[in-house]
Amino acid sequence: MALDHRRVPGPEESQAPLLYAVPGQAAPEAPGREAAALRPLLARAGLLSQAEGSASLELGGGTKVLCAVRGPREAAEGRGRLLCEFRRAPFSGRGARPRPGPAAAARERELGLALQEALAPAVRLARYPRARLELTALVLQDGGSALAAALSAAALALADAGVEMFDLVVGCGLCRAPGPGGAWLLQPSEAEERAAAARLTVALMPGLNQVAGLLGSGQGGPPESWAQAVRLGLEGCQRLYPLLRRSLLRSAERRAAEADPPQS
Amino acid sequence: MLLWFERKCLASLQLLTILYCSLRRKKSLWSLILVGFALESLKENCRPDGRELGEFRTTTVNIGSITTADGSALVKLGNTTVICGIKAEFAQPPAESTNKGYIVPNVDLPPLCSSRFRPGPPGEEAQAASQFIADVIENSEIIMKEDLCIAHGKLAWVLYCDFICLDYDGNILDACTFALLAALKNVQLPKVTINEETGLAEVDLKQTNPLNIRKHPVATSFAVFDDTILIVDPTAEEEDLATGTVTIVMDEEGRLCSVHKPGGSGLTAAKLQDCITRAITRHKEVKKLIDKVIKSIKIK
Repeated sequence: MALDHRRVPGPEESQAPLLYAVPGQAAPEAPGREAAALRPLLARAGLLSQAEGSASLELGGGTKVLCAVRGPREAAEGRGRLLCEFRRAPFSGRGARPRPGPAAAARERELGLALQEALAPAVRLARYPRARLELTALVLQDGGSALAAALSAAALALADAGVEMFDLVVGCGLCRAPGPGGAWLLQPSEAEERAAAARLTVALMPGLNQVAGLLGSGQGGPPESWAQAVRLGLEGCQRLYPLLRRSLLRSAERRAAEADPPQS
Repeated sequence: MLLWFERKCLASLQLLTILYCSLRRKKSLWSLILVGFALESLKENCRPDGRELGEFRTTTVNIGSITTADGSALVKLGNTTVICGIKAEFAQPPAESTNKGYIVPNVDLPPLCSSRFRPGPPGEEAQAASQFIADVIENSEIIMKEDLCIAHGKLAWVLYCDFICLDYDGNILDACTFALLAALKNVQLPKVTINEETGLAEVDLKQTNPLNIRKHPVATSFAVFDDTILIVDPTAEEEDLATGTVTIVMDEEGRLCSVHKPGGSGLTAAKLQDCITRAITRHKEVKKLIDKVIKSIKIK
């Protein structure tokens, strides 16, 4: 492996302790869950002082995503552009720590592009000619449905930055349990995602009822099964929409209260 | 109180001095005006956010929020936010010291924390911060690397300490050191035994032990203005205007672990002694805060 001169050197190779775990220590099977049950969600906008817009989203069961928007900045000639970056913290995964470097970047680039494609329909880029908006989504802890959480957090961060948008984008993840006739589960946990036969992430603009993005792969079964999964995902997005709107309102109220302390 | 007329004379004299200095030192005029303004207000014991010269920003710490990491801590020093996650893995001990493990710090300053950083491999400031943390670990002996060895020459723990700055408002080194200490106190390592027959490790995830933290180093950073004025815990704005910075790392026995002074304007011995005294009081404050947080976690 090439020596990375920019980082403090460590051992050439290292293995995760999980590989050597004594068998019989697997976590007890989680009790069966309802397929369309949503995980508790905590969304906050406007936390970072240095970014124009920021938002953090936490899903019950351990998915934490932080998103920051910088811009609009001046760019070369052309229409406005939205540049998205998707990063995972090295300590966010349950297994081995991915070494920071070019190899890890490839998978993240694909997800960054997926983020950009899903958010582009919602942002009024025509209002920002010759400008670029830079968005970074950072996954601090991956407990399942990280991309979907990043989508919602990114839309909240853009709204918090005051970027003109047609609507918020809400993301929802699904996965199909293995085995014939496996059911599609909404917002899977990390263990369910690992064991899944197929995964799907849908992004919806609930106010306009338009699908902004769709990313899926795996052995999902016949097309009707995929169609059913998409419908389940879109319902989930509609149910999450009021929560995200309320968090935006709360952050706007907080900002107004800080700027203008209420007269007692 | 000066009369209006005298104030105007003083202001024009200051402006002339600044113009003269800018022509001589060839620094940008605007930065000199800012420095001049900052110096004037600092002489009146006044900082832009209303703090005293020796006052720290509100410090909060949140331990153990990232469950996928073996130990984690989130530290906020005013607006500056740093999260530290520690992951423990197995590796072969280094060839030159077969009874030691590794501790590998890595500070990441992503573009999301501030517009001054570009995406890509670690820049100068991130590399300097990583090296500073590595030096603090080495000099303060916060953990003995011998404690990380499991089987002499065959297996040892590697602790990867990853720091991500979420919000950059100055004084990154203090925040990272504090996050390191808090996260290391939070680490739980599973029990490992070496199976004699197969020679492989067997990890018992149910039984975990905390790390043996021997010393508690705490860093205190100062910004120097023109060799005379020292302010503690500078914000990003103050760091940019400062002519130099000093970071002092002390441990709980009042011993000096390291002094980090990367260039900048000179400092007299008396001023350095003042810094050390302030660092000792800061150590007590931080130790109290960490003990309170650890106790509140244990009670749960």
